[in-house]
Amino acid sequence: MSTGIIWHNIKQWVGPGLCALLLGGCVNATVNEMTYNEPVAGIGESSVVILGRRHAPDYDTEFDFIQCIGDHIHSGDPSIDVIGEIAFINEFYPWFEPRTAPMQPETIDRLLQLPPVAERFAAMQLEYMIWIDGNTVDTESAGSMSCGIGPGVAGCFGFGTWGTESEYEATIWDFTDKVEVGRVSAVTSGQNYMPAVIVPIPIIAPVQGTACDSLGDQLLEYLSAHH
Amino acid sequence: MGEASLASTIFDRESAVLGRYLLVLCIALLGTGCASKQVVVEGNFPTPLLDPLPVTLGVIYPSAFAQHEFFDEAKGRAESDWLVKTGEAQVEFWDILFSGMFEDVVHIRDWETVQSRGADIDGVIIPAIAELQYTIPTHTNVKVYEIWMRYQFRLVDVSALHQQEDGALSFNPEERLATWPITAYGKTPTAFLQTDEEAVNLAAVVALRDAGAHFVTTFGANPGVATWLDGIAARQHNGIGPEPDVGGAEGSRNMDEGSPAIAGDQAATAETAKNGSSSPAEDAVGEAISSAETSGASS
Repeated sequence: MSTGIIWHNIKQWVGPGLCALLLGGCVNATVNEMTYNEPVAGIGESSVVILGRRHAPDYDTEFDFIQCIGDHIHSGDPSIDVIGEIAFINEFYPWFEPRTAPMQPETIDRLLQLPPVAERFAAMQLEYMIWIDGNTVDTESAGSMSCGIGPGVAGCFGFGTWGTESEYEATIWDFTDKVEVGRVSAVTSGQNYMPAVIVPIPIIAPVQGTACDSLGDQLLEYLSAHH
Repeated sequence: MGEASLASTIFDRESAVLGRYLLVLCIALLGTGCASKQVVVEGNFPTPLLDPLPVTLGVIYPSAFAQHEFFDEAKGRAESDWLVKTGEAQVEFWDILFSGMFEDVVHIRDWETVQSRGADIDGVIIPAIAELQYTIPTHTNVKVYEIWMRYQFRLVDVSALHQQEDGALSFNPEERLATWPITAYGKTPTAFLQTDEEAVNLAAVVALRDAGAHFVTTFGANPGVATWLDGIAARQHNGIGPEPDVGGAEGSRNMDEGSPAIAGDQAATAETAKNGSSSPAEDAVGEAISSAETSGASS
């Protein structure tokens, strides 16, 4: 094989790879917000719990996404007490399982008729319950990659790309008045690339992370007196 | 001659070692496709947040329940045999649930327990796993691990328990107070660095939690159970019966309300109505409860 052909092959794959490096990691995000009765002075000593919806047959809202939003809010305003999701679900078992979780804020009153549940809620000083519904999925993929191994040498050659989309909606319930006080949604998408010249280099678009930051910012703005 | 012999020996030795390695590699590669996977389900189960019903409940875990496992044989070389042992987790989970739901729980594993604690016991519950199904992404091409279970619960009066000649416990099905099915479903999505075994375990734990939620929210909706609870409440109200009226009016109210039935009452009633009477085969399984077959420590 002549040097010219080799150079041509390298250019053929390095070109898209460099483009990917420049373009990779870009994420489109669309955020919609509709909120009422914002606590202008913040939530004080009260606490907030963020829960994921997991009743749909084909997807679950990821636990780590809920954790990410909670961390985002708490790091933005450390005075906001965000109760951990798993600890909350375990403390209130079996009332927040996918089968039993309240779907409307009005149904909380029925839960509060149970004395031990009411007592635990009172001890928590829960002010807002935020439900997150949605998930992140990989979409269409394209490209090809070949990997080989030989005596003393191994490597991959090729280029692959795939999309990722996130769609989440946060519903805010005022726990005192048992009413819905807002909805915030975030739709994000991005393209991931994997060029490989001997070593595959994944260039992953932070689609879920952007959705977390977008939703987290909006929720922080709603809950915090400092934002 | 000597050099040739030495070279030959080295060559033979290398080829033998190489051959052995290749053989081991081939066996390992072939074995990978048909290796069996085993999961002993384990998890941390929370105590239910309930006001316990003022009831002394006897519990019998038949051996088929306490040592429950299911085995699925691989249907091709690309699949694996699966052995999932749920028995220990079942007993641990239902022990925690019953202890949180009822004021006193007595594990019945022999006739002596029936004789010594029988007067205190308001009713005896006998759970059974009637059916279990599972799917993994290899089966469905969907990135979800799922477990579905159907339980059959039987509630009998302690007087319906009898000792057979061989010492085994049995009960008269005509004296059965109630029987009802409980379905449970658990799923967990695929996750990075999560093995099939871990995912199946997690799906089983989710299914167990779902079973408990279903049980708690539909317990009082079963007509037979409701009648039984009303009877206990009336006895306690009149000061008759095994337990003093510790719950008083509040205890009676709880039982009248069918405990904390918040969701799924109608669905449960419909399901009970449809499957309320078990098949003769199921009854036959439930009638004889060998003392050797039961498990769980007496408390």
